[in-house]
Amino acid sequence: MSTSLRRQLNRAQATALVIGLAVLGLMVLGVFTQRRQFFFSYLFGWLFWLQLSLGCFLVTMIHHLTGGRWGYPTRRFLEAGFMVLPLMLLLAVPLFFGLRELYPWARPQDLATEKILRDLQAWQNTLGYVLRSILFLGVWIWMGLCLRRWSLQQDATEDARPTRYARALSGPGIVLYGLLGTFACVDWIMSLEKHWYSTMFAVIVIIGQILTAYAFSVLLLTLFRSQQPLAPVVTKTHYHHLGNLLLTFVLFWTYVSFGQFLIIYSGDLPHELDWYLHRIATSWKVVLAALALFHFFLPFFLLLFRPLKRHVAALTSMAAILFTVHVVDTYWLVMPAFHQGGVVISWQDFAAPIGIGGLWLALFLAFLKSAPLLPQHDPGLQFAFRYEHS
Amino acid sequence: MNATIQLEQPRPLPVLTEDPQELIGFLAEFKEHDQLLDAARRAYAAGYRKMDAYSPFPIEELPEALGCRPSLVPMFALLGGMAGGLGGYFMEWYSMGRLYPLNVGGRPLNSWPNFIPVVFELTVLIASLSAFTAMLVLNRLPHLHHPVFEVPEFERASIDRFFLFIESEDQKFEQKRTWSFLETLVPLTIKEVRDE
Repeated sequence: MSTSLRRQLNRAQATALVIGLAVLGLMVLGVFTQRRQFFFSYLFGWLFWLQLSLGCFLVTMIHHLTGGRWGYPTRRFLEAGFMVLPLMLLLAVPLFFGLRELYPWARPQDLATEKILRDLQAWQNTLGYVLRSILFLGVWIWMGLCLRRWSLQQDATEDARPTRYARALSGPGIVLYGLLGTFACVDWIMSLEKHWYSTMFAVIVIIGQILTAYAFSVLLLTLFRSQQPLAPVVTKTHYHHLGNLLLTFVLFWTYVSFGQFLIIYSGDLPHELDWYLHRIATSWKVVLAALALFHFFLPFFLLLFRPLKRHVAALTSMAAILFTVHVVDTYWLVMPAFHQGGVVISWQDFAAPIGIGGLWLALFLAFLKSAPLLPQHDPGLQFAFRYEHS
Repeated sequence: MNATIQLEQPRPLPVLTEDPQELIGFLAEFKEHDQLLDAARRAYAAGYRKMDAYSPFPIEELPEALGCRPSLVPMFALLGGMAGGLGGYFMEWYSMGRLYPLNVGGRPLNSWPNFIPVVFELTVLIASLSAFTAMLVLNRLPHLHHPVFEVPEFERASIDRFFLFIESEDQKFEQKRTWSFLETLVPLTIKEVRDE
């Protein structure tokens, strides 16, 4: 990494850190003035950046299993992305003090009226929520640390053993993530609604995480593609492949999102409807329409075209749209549980993602600086850059 | 009838005694896919257009190197997909809403979320059928015999060899000149392909 790039990154890191701390400091005001709004906004901001980290973690494991040339120039971005997970665990602590504001199962008045919440008490309780959050994040942090350590070890040796370890962890790792991630989605998001449950929900959230991580890799690849040692190896084919992956996950996200909606629409059962009543019946339907347009129709039709996927500026803009619209998607998952009557936008809805994002980016850049931008000696590398189209 | 040139030996011109009307083209054989790609690019640069290449596995750059126009198959797939989707929706709306209106749990007659699965399936079905049919028709398939099959070495096109075929119908094609051009590409063999 060149010294001028290092200097630029240092400056960006300092800016992100200062903005992050300042905005989060400002949000302390929110705790005293609009307490419930604060916790909901904070949950939304925390979830978005957590999902990005988890997406990076998943995509790294997917690439260890599948290979593919798109994964080598983006691996260091993905690794730095999941190395931020310990910070996300630390940032989860404020949530533990606001469970009563967020979740019906932690509120005595809801517990008194709702039998279902009392029946679920053995699982859904404050201690369980805190312990499970720490356990899930702890397992993922540990797996992430292993993947990162092996990746750095591989840089130093020709022996392919570290890459084989990473591959051996990734298979069971993805399965374990699917299991733990399902429970985590129930705790963190699904239990915001009193009665609602859906077995499809965790799938939707996890697909969204992967989509965000791919969009993020495209953005980072464009920012860094003219730097050494990426400049000579990054080609339009990398963009083409990442574009295909974006299209795949746009389709997958739409398929599972609509699938869940269709099943609930067809079933028409009262305890399943809350989720959509809060998210469609009121002015939240405007947000849903924006999601349908920017999370599906626009990217789907544009990403069908091969020239767009091979055009750096065009694909980067598409990735920026998908990244932004996924912020809106997270907002639409969380916030209607609080503002059930319709959209109410608070300054804290901007402050939380910006503040948490500032800290996230600062730590991300620290990890990005600490390793070469291209992994070395991975056995897949020798084929990855040999032919223009393969 | 095929004339063979082994390039390890001196390179005589082929014996071109037969009626030139029957000559379909020259087939050059290569050992590596890089060589085939390079040969295709140089043949294109030399002005040859009516040519084809054969390889045991797909080489993505090859169509571009041969100067193939973008395929029309995706357009047929798009048209087929749109016809399938709109037709599917029309079928459901017309039968459920018009011909035999049925109240299902108080939902509107034009209950679009329930129509989407059929629309989706028909889009995929008609799109893939039109892509498949368009591929066959545009390639003029099924085509049971081609003169290159007469060249004994050609069976390795599906095993481990790479072939460049320049058709005699090409505007630039001229027996001696094309033959010596192919020699400059250093193939393993060059064969004449004749219609029997």
